[in-house]
Formats: sequence, structure tokens, C-alpha cells
Amino acid sequence: MDKEWVPLDCLLPSGTQKICLIILNQPLDKNYLHILWRKALLKACADGAANHLYEVTAGCHDSFLPDYISGDFDSITAEVKAFYADKGSKLIETADQDLTDFTKCLAVMLEKIKDQQLQVDTIVTLGGLAGRIDQIMASVETLHHALNMTQLPVLVIQGTSLAYLLRPGSHRLAVNTGLEGDWCGLIPVGGPCQTVTTGLKWNLISNLWIISDLWSFSVPLALGTVQRTHLETCLSRKPYAVFGP
Amino acid sequence: MDKEWVPLDCLLPSGTQKICLIILNQPLDKNYLHILWRKALLKACADGAANHLYEVTAGCHDSFLPDYISGDFDSITAEVKAFYADKGSKLIETADQDLTDFTKCLAVMLEKIKDQQLQVDTIVTLGGLAGRIDQIMASVETLHHALNMTQLPVLVIQGTSLAYLLRPQGSHRLAVNTGLEGDWCGLIPVGGPCQTVTTGLKWNLNNQILKFGTLVSTSNSFEPTAPGKRRNLVTVTTDQPLLWTMAIQKNGE
Repeated sequence: MDKEWVPLDCLLPSGTQKICLIILNQPLDKNYLHILWRKALLKACADGAANHLYEVTAGCHDSFLPDYISGDFDSITAEVKAFYADKGSKLIETADQDLTDFTKCLAVMLEKIKDQQLQVDTIVTLGGLAGRIDQIMASVETLHHALNMTQLPVLVIQGTSLAYLLRPGSHRLAVNTGLEGDWCGLIPVGGPCQTVTTGLKWNLISNLWIISDLWSFSVPLALGTVQRTHLETCLSRKPYAVFGP
Repeated sequence: MDKEWVPLDCLLPSGTQKICLIILNQPLDKNYLHILWRKALLKACADGAANHLYEVTAGCHDSFLPDYISGDFDSITAEVKAFYADKGSKLIETADQDLTDFTKCLAVMLEKIKDQQLQVDTIVTLGGLAGRIDQIMASVETLHHALNMTQLPVLVIQGTSLAYLLRPQGSHRLAVNTGLEGDWCGLIPVGGPCQTVTTGLKWNLNNQILKFGTLVSTSNSFEPTAPGKRRNLVTVTTDQPLLWTMAIQKNGE
């Protein structure tokens, strides 16, 4: 994976990545939603995410109809479920108890991408990094499963955090969109990772455990490279001005 | 570790564990704060946690003066810092860049426990499980360091979540029948694969390997309890440090 990749391209109005959007059951950031929805080739909600979508799009529901809502439907309200079903959103029940709603929603997304032969660059997920600690960890678990499910990058965004699981190999992350905040980190969630980095304030030659690093901004910002990892990388996202709907 | 241990004893008014309290830089739950503060032999803030403490104890600041505030002081406001210093809270600057504020605050706590020869059962941490994702992970990192720093259990509480890292020694027997437990729990092999055996869970593990990308126990629950009976212990045996997570009932107390 030696090509340059721009994690925050999806939030750039001028970004060029073609994305699909998964919304998880967490409070929804309106600004993120609007910019991602506009770009997304497919949009899905995992169960109770539909409640948040319904709430946050009050007054313009018809402009934000998901292609499908998947899950075991134990979180979505009857009202919201009926509303979106009536409007044509597919309801896809995924009862497998060994996989999370997120993993199952992603599986459906990948199937649809294949069936519709869509050209997709990135799968973007809203939510998943806050709330119950076991569910935050479950998001990370899904990112691990995703490595075996698809070659597409799957990233997770909530609040001022972005998380992206790096496959073993060399990664070149472009972090100069202007949307990056001031912290980042490399988290060996699955187990120890031998790691080499450049472009960070505290680079790694090899290590077992990591704590958060800080960007050192220089102009122009150096391209960061990360080699030989199987790590989760977290980038911050600074608060930004409101985007119009 | 074959003795029974009650994770949520610290939040029970009638709980018997002697605790020390660390507050991290996150919005503070007033209810948790009041009950833990009352019990704690020592109370500390990690840097900007002091801002939250100051805010949440408006009108009764003098009843909530931390024994010390530690960190690199890049988050605490000048006003809050001066206020607590004037009131006698020690300011302990810990500049080590390789360790987080949480780890350093814990180190100071353990030193004071030793110096003052305090009998402590548990170190309780408020905050650390929300906010920046790298800092949530850093809390987990501190729990790993803690295994080498002390034999005392160190637990982390925020919102409706509790996190506690289980040592790979013997069998853990967790009493989860205080009435404060919520309805979910999980076992997260954050450090690497864990061969795990459990009882008392809705979905138990029978020598399976918990491992990211293979099997992680989230949205688990407790085994059903017969009417009139107390909930059974949860027992966990693991060969590597394993993160126990559980729900705290969402209500006032």
C-alpha cells in the first residue's frame, strides 16, 4: 500500500474520493453528515442509527433517506422504522449474534457495491468512537474484520476523532488538507507491532506500545509514512466552521 | 486472584472497599464524584481534570479540594491552578513525555499510599473512557502499566462504562449483584490474544481465544438468574491481560 492516501479527503468539499457511508448508533454530527451524504454513492444506517438520522434531519427527511437500514432492529423505534420503510429504504435484518451491527452493515454494503459494480475508494463510518466502552472496542473489532472482507479502506469518524486500521505494510498518509487537528496516535490494538514512522513529532523505529503523539506542524507539512504496521491510527479533526446543508 | 471482588462496590453507599480516587480530564459525573470523594483516602486530579472539578463543585469548592494535582499543566487553567494551590492542594509537575498524565498521576498516588502507609483496596479513576480516541486507548495503556506498578486493582469509570484489566493470574471472581450493574458486559483482548474461560455470562467462553479480528466479546450479558436468587459470580480465567468492561446502571443514586 505505497500510494499516498488522504484520510480526511472525505470531509473536504473538494475531495475526490468516492465514498460509501455507514452511520452507527451514536449522536450524529450534522456538518459531517451533510458533507458525507452529498458525496456518498450508498448510505446505510446500522439499526438505531436511523433514530439519530431521523432526529438530525427534521424538516428535510426526504433528502436523507438511507438506501438500507440493517441490524437486529432492537434499537430502531417502530416509528422511524416505518417511516423509512414507507419511503423506500430497504430493511435488512441481520440476526447473526456473533457479529456486531457494524460488521453486518459493512458486509451488506460490500455486497451492494459488488452487485451494483460501483467504483468506491473509501467506506466512511460516522459514529462508533464514543458511548459504551465495549461498543467502541467493537468498532475496532469491525475494522479488523474489514481487513479480510475488503481491500477498501474503512474509516471511522466521530467528534474530533478519526480511526483507521493500517494493514501490515507501508502507508503514506497525506495530512495536509487543513482539516487535521493537532494530535494523532498509533495504537497496537491487536497485539505488538514493529513500527517505523516518519513525519510524526515522535517517530518510531520499532516499538511495542505507543501513546499519543503530537503533530509538529511545519509549512509545508511533511508527508507521514508508516511502515510495517497492523495498527490503528487515530487522527484528530479540529472543529471547523459550519457547512451549509 | 481467587477471592471474590466487587467492581461496583465503590459506588455502593454501603460498600466496604477503601479507595483512592484519580480524576481525569473529562466531564465529571456529579453523582459518581460525590460518592467516591466521600470514601476516598486520597483524591487527585490529572492536569485539566481540576478544571472539571472546579466547575462541577461550584458553591462548595472547599469540600472538594484534591490532595494533589499532577501533570504537565498544559490543560489546567491558571485560575483553577492558583485556586487549588492557595487552598493547599499540592501541585506536582510530571514532565515525562513517554508517560501519560494518568500513568504519572497513578505513580504519585502509589507513592503517597506507601509513604502514608495507607490500607487501600482499590484505585478508582473517573473519566478516561470518552473524548479523543487516542486518549481512551491511553487509559487502557495506563491500566497495562498499572499491572506492573501495583497489585491494587485500578478501575476506570465514565458514563455508564466501567473498565478493569484482569491479570493473567489465577481465576477472577467478579461479584456483579450490587444492583448497580447495567445489562451489558464485555471482554476485550486489547494487548493480544487471550485464552479465556468464563462462567456467569450469557455467552461464556470455553478455552476459546479472544483476539481482535477473530473473536471479541462485546454486548455480552450476565446469565439469567432464577427468580428470588442472587446473580451468580462471573468468573474469568485468562492467560494474558484481558480488559473486563461492564455497564453501570444509568440513573441517579
